[in-house]
Amino acid sequence: MSETVLENIRTRRVVREMTDQPVAQEQIEKILEAARWAPSGGNLRPNRYIVVEDPETRRLIRLVSPGMFQKAPVLILICTDGDVLTEHSLPPTDRALLIDIGTAAQTIMLATHALGLASGPVTSYSKEAVKVILNLPASYSPEMFICIGHKAETTRRGMTAWKRITWRDLTHWERFPDD
Amino acid sequence: MAEAMSENWVLKEDEAIELLALLITSARIQMDEPAHYGPLRLLTATERLSSAILERASDKSRGFLQGNIERIPDMHMQMSDTEAYATGLDELCRQVAQCLLRHSPLTEDGS
Ligand SMILES: Cc1cc2nc3c(=O)[nH]c(=O)nc-3n(C[C@H](O)[C@H](O)[C@H](O)COP(=O)(O)O)c2cc1C
Repeated sequence: MSETVLENIRTRRVVREMTDQPVAQEQIEKILEAARWAPSGGNLRPNRYIVVEDPETRRLIRLVSPGMFQKAPVLILICTDGDVLTEHSLPPTDRALLIDIGTAAQTIMLATHALGLASGPVTSYSKEAVKVILNLPASYSPEMFICIGHKAETTRRGMTAWKRITWRDLTHWERFPDD
Repeated sequence: MAEAMSENWVLKEDEAIELLALLITSARIQMDEPAHYGPLRLLTATERLSSAILERASDKSRGFLQGNIERIPDMHMQMSDTEAYATGLDELCRQVAQCLLRHSPLTEDGS
């Protein structure tokens, strides 16, 4: 087991202030390749990734994304492709779809962190407005943005925790006792 | 009374439309998000509006816009401390009331 991986997981934080320094194409490609290796329910791979670097498109996306505080030089939009669901007779409510978004998102954020870059996930945006701005194919459902860039010196602290937690608070061992 | 009000144009059409986009999309996403995100969205709109108008605002508003609104992003991050959040918002409410008075014929400033 690699301590480096564990350290990477421990030290990744959401970054909400980024510089406008661009991200090298090679780094973006490494991140996308990492996402390809994220686990996927039934190995169906319904995720599609849209990379947005064009400044005007990013500006418009931010305007319909109240939860996007960063002005990131790169946005990766994780979409679910409905055509894959149709092909495999999966209902759009299948929970594996959301889990697939989660495994991809975390993989992207950890890969980004490993490359010395900053990231922040965003789900607070209007899906309908994003579909219009990106002219998405009808089968694509825009599920989550990952903002990627370089952390600004001035970056504020993240959100203060609702309460301090350790992994122990989140964990229960074995069967729950009978009442 | 209207004479005393400032008639400065402080917002461009593009800026107004941008704010509109933020308000409309906030209304929609708020339907799927926890209630405590409501103040966050309103404050985000406040922050964007105030930075859009700052450049053309009169002295009556400038101090308010600069001093208080800049603190908003830090306030968001303390959302989990409800008491501190409410205290911060109360302070903002007092400051905006003072700004309103500066713009009103009710006070010397506003006349
Ligand atoms: C499903 C999901 C949606 C999120 N949406 C947003 C968002 O819209 N805007 C944002 O600034 N952060 C968003 N976050 C980031 C969380 O607020 C962040 O992970 C949390 O505060 C813990 O911070 P940390 O990841 O730095 O430990 C989201 C995280 C997840 C997992």
